[in-house]
Amino acid sequence: MQRCFILSAALLISLVSRTAGADLSTLWTERIKCAVAVEYVATTEMERHTTIAYGTVIDSSGTIALPSAAIDLRIPPSQLKDFRVYRPNDPEGTPAEYLGRDALTGWHFVRAAASVRSLLVPVTAFTGAGAPREAGLAEDVWGIALRNKEEEFAPYIMQSHVALIEDLPQRTAIAQQEVAGPGLPVFDRDGRFLGLGASSFGQTYLQFSNVDRGGTPVMLVNVEESSAFVTAAEVLPYLGRIPHNAFGRPLAWLGAYGLEPMDREVGTFLKLNSQSGAVVSEVLEGSPAERAGLKPRDIILAVDGKPLPRFRPERIVVDYIDRLIAARAPGDAMALSVLRGVNRQEIKVVLAEEPELVREAPRRYFDRIGLGVRQFVYGDAAARRVATNDQSGVVAYLVKPNGPADVAGLRTDDWIKEIDGAEVRTFEAASAKLASIEAELLRSEVVVLVSRGGDTAVLRIKLH
Amino acid sequence: MSHGFDRLLDSVVRIDVREVTFDEGTRRFDASVGSGVILSDDGLVLTNAHVAGPRAIEVNITLSSLERVEAKLAGWDHWTDLALLKINMEEVRRRHLRFQHAEFGESERLFVGETVYAVGTPEGLTRTVTRGIISNNNRYFEDTAGVDGYETGGFNTWLQTDAAINPGNSGGPLVTEDGRVVGITSRGYLGANNLGFAIPSATARRIVDGLARTGSIERSYIGIVPGALQDLEHFYSLASNTGMLIDNVEAASPAAIAGLRGGDILLSIDGHPVDGRFDEQLPAIQNLIASQPIGRTLQLQYMRGGRVALASVATERLESRIGEEGVLDGWGIGVRKISRAFARKSRLPDDNGVIVIGVQPGFPADVAGLSRGDIITKINQRPIGSLELLKTAQAAYTAKPGPTLLEVQRDRHVSFIVLKP
Repeated sequence: MQRCFILSAALLISLVSRTAGADLSTLWTERIKCAVAVEYVATTEMERHTTIAYGTVIDSSGTIALPSAAIDLRIPPSQLKDFRVYRPNDPEGTPAEYLGRDALTGWHFVRAAASVRSLLVPVTAFTGAGAPREAGLAEDVWGIALRNKEEEFAPYIMQSHVALIEDLPQRTAIAQQEVAGPGLPVFDRDGRFLGLGASSFGQTYLQFSNVDRGGTPVMLVNVEESSAFVTAAEVLPYLGRIPHNAFGRPLAWLGAYGLEPMDREVGTFLKLNSQSGAVVSEVLEGSPAERAGLKPRDIILAVDGKPLPRFRPERIVVDYIDRLIAARAPGDAMALSVLRGVNRQEIKVVLAEEPELVREAPRRYFDRIGLGVRQFVYGDAAARRVATNDQSGVVAYLVKPNGPADVAGLRTDDWIKEIDGAEVRTFEAASAKLASIEAELLRSEVVVLVSRGGDTAVLRIKLH
Repeated sequence: MSHGFDRLLDSVVRIDVREVTFDEGTRRFDASVGSGVILSDDGLVLTNAHVAGPRAIEVNITLSSLERVEAKLAGWDHWTDLALLKINMEEVRRRHLRFQHAEFGESERLFVGETVYAVGTPEGLTRTVTRGIISNNNRYFEDTAGVDGYETGGFNTWLQTDAAINPGNSGGPLVTEDGRVVGITSRGYLGANNLGFAIPSATARRIVDGLARTGSIERSYIGIVPGALQDLEHFYSLASNTGMLIDNVEAASPAAIAGLRGGDILLSIDGHPVDGRFDEQLPAIQNLIASQPIGRTLQLQYMRGGRVALASVATERLESRIGEEGVLDGWGIGVRKISRAFARKSRLPDDNGVIVIGVQPGFPADVAGLSRGDIITKINQRPIGSLELLKTAQAAYTAKPGPTLLEVQRDRHVSFIVLKP
């Protein structure tokens, strides 16, 4: 009911403003000032890898929101370096700072240096008055895309019509063709902000071979342009979620592992009719979910008394629940209605702070051994199905190709439990031990006990 | 050639096997050819476990007279890749067929360079004799999936020969000039020249006795995976030829329960010192443990971090990772029961359930979204404790098709699916 009202109000405003008859080239010139390209370097001990993503300016302090896919979450923030912001047609760029990622929106935030801020215009300048506007079906929409670095990020316009609007679970408008670069804004014909280009919505093409007729075609995906955008109502209320630290802490944590959507047929079988649901695969040890009494194979049917909505495809219900958690803070309550066997149960969970993540784990690289190790974190124990109070040892995050550790058979993600026959309980202990081994120049070998896939092996690392 | 060799030739047979497989979600039949050697006048034939096994539904034996008779599987041991067949003697008598039986030689006495002959049916060429020498009489290799997916090689070393070994030689004898069987030819390196391997007669003799008596070999298991100590003695401050490295202790195994873990050095078993300096010595140690009565408590002396300790470990029956297999025609899936060893290895809470090993496109299981590798743990909310239970459920479904609820696990993710007619 409320949505209808917003829609009709929005239509009214657009009718009014259309009479003003803004010229597209004027709108374009103003609006490209909120689009930027962001370059950064992911550095490891072995290599530097430069990536370019697109983002939208969200405030007058030069803050830029980048889509979730712009930065690989497995890279620890300490390894993300040399951020630069490029305005359209700007070959030079300006240094910028990485602020972190927000768990709810998935956006990464970057702040451009003060020198360039006056040249940037936040997208909020184009939202107009009243509620965020949602595009109508078949509406003519346009957006901004940027060419690559060699072409000095020349901006170009993309235009299309809205073909479909779906909850995925964020409300997303899908256009007939590409409509903007992923992370760049989309507007209506009056220049009002409609949303941000979504990632992984590029058009796909099949390329058939002339030579190998009947062979398997190659699938090509347009990753630089997107044919869908997350609507303004999913963007504007969240622009203030700039993280206070690179890890985006605090992070709310439930501890229900492997949520799987409940199949519609299963709902019918269990006499739940059109009810949507999510099956809990495992309940992690020591988690808020475990404390509250959630059990593996419970089917979550409602959160805070509200039945889970039905999505197409069904698996989106999992993202929906994840977002309900991410929108809260540690210490917040969450009431779950679950089906256990044939009984309904009400479970009240108090969310906690998420345990240390892999990307937060302290790490250190030892060049003479060709091995980088990091702290063994909660997620490592969960992944290996070992008790969390059994946490000891370190994890190999980097094994230098053809280095001593590699030759000895060590692999990335191996869990190192003993060094030189003695158990290493903490990262600090392991790190100190490896450092002292590396410092002994006459030493010819180090013996480690590693665990991989639940099996252990004693490996001899020959030092040169 | 010797009289013994002529007699041997009359004891070597061709084996034609038809077996059933379930890995496409339906019954499929495969035909293969191997070799074997007759061991007794009452028609016991020794061959490889990978020539004829529990999946065989029809076994035919071609005698040296080129007459063909039926046989049945009488015993099977994939750990040593040996199987025992029994010729249908009634048929032999009715048709007045004749055959000879071979004698075992002593594989321990073989010397490297000694001339040996491989007799068998390479590529279907019946009664082919090839000649070579013993290239190595103590070769070690273990293979976790060497016999049609089953584990092999942990309890014996192998004879290596350069006598030409080709597919179809499998199960045939490796013999000395006097026609005595010193090995059972079992495998060769593909793409290599004349690197063939045979199970020594010393091992085969022992296994044949067991198989003839009970059809299978019982072994004890404690769950330690050995490693050679070579070059590590200094690190562990050990005298040479002392102890065996424990590379891994399998999760939830008796050794794990007794507190042993990877990196420990096993020093003695029930007071008998252990020497596992070289890989070639490991099968004998494995055998020592395996040959203990099931349920017996062993005293293992081991060293950890320079300190010597004692652990009491109660043995249990050795099991394969591969459980019983079957097909559920109506649903279009081939399944394999979760074995205790598989459940432990995969850290499953128990051994309830079956793994889907094949899915037939378009059948109810496929339509419902099941795929290969999925583990079905419950049917209509009942745990699947045996393959029988699942087959009964399927029979009920076939008689009166109706929605059936399955609980499925895929990469630790649990979901429910409904099979519909």
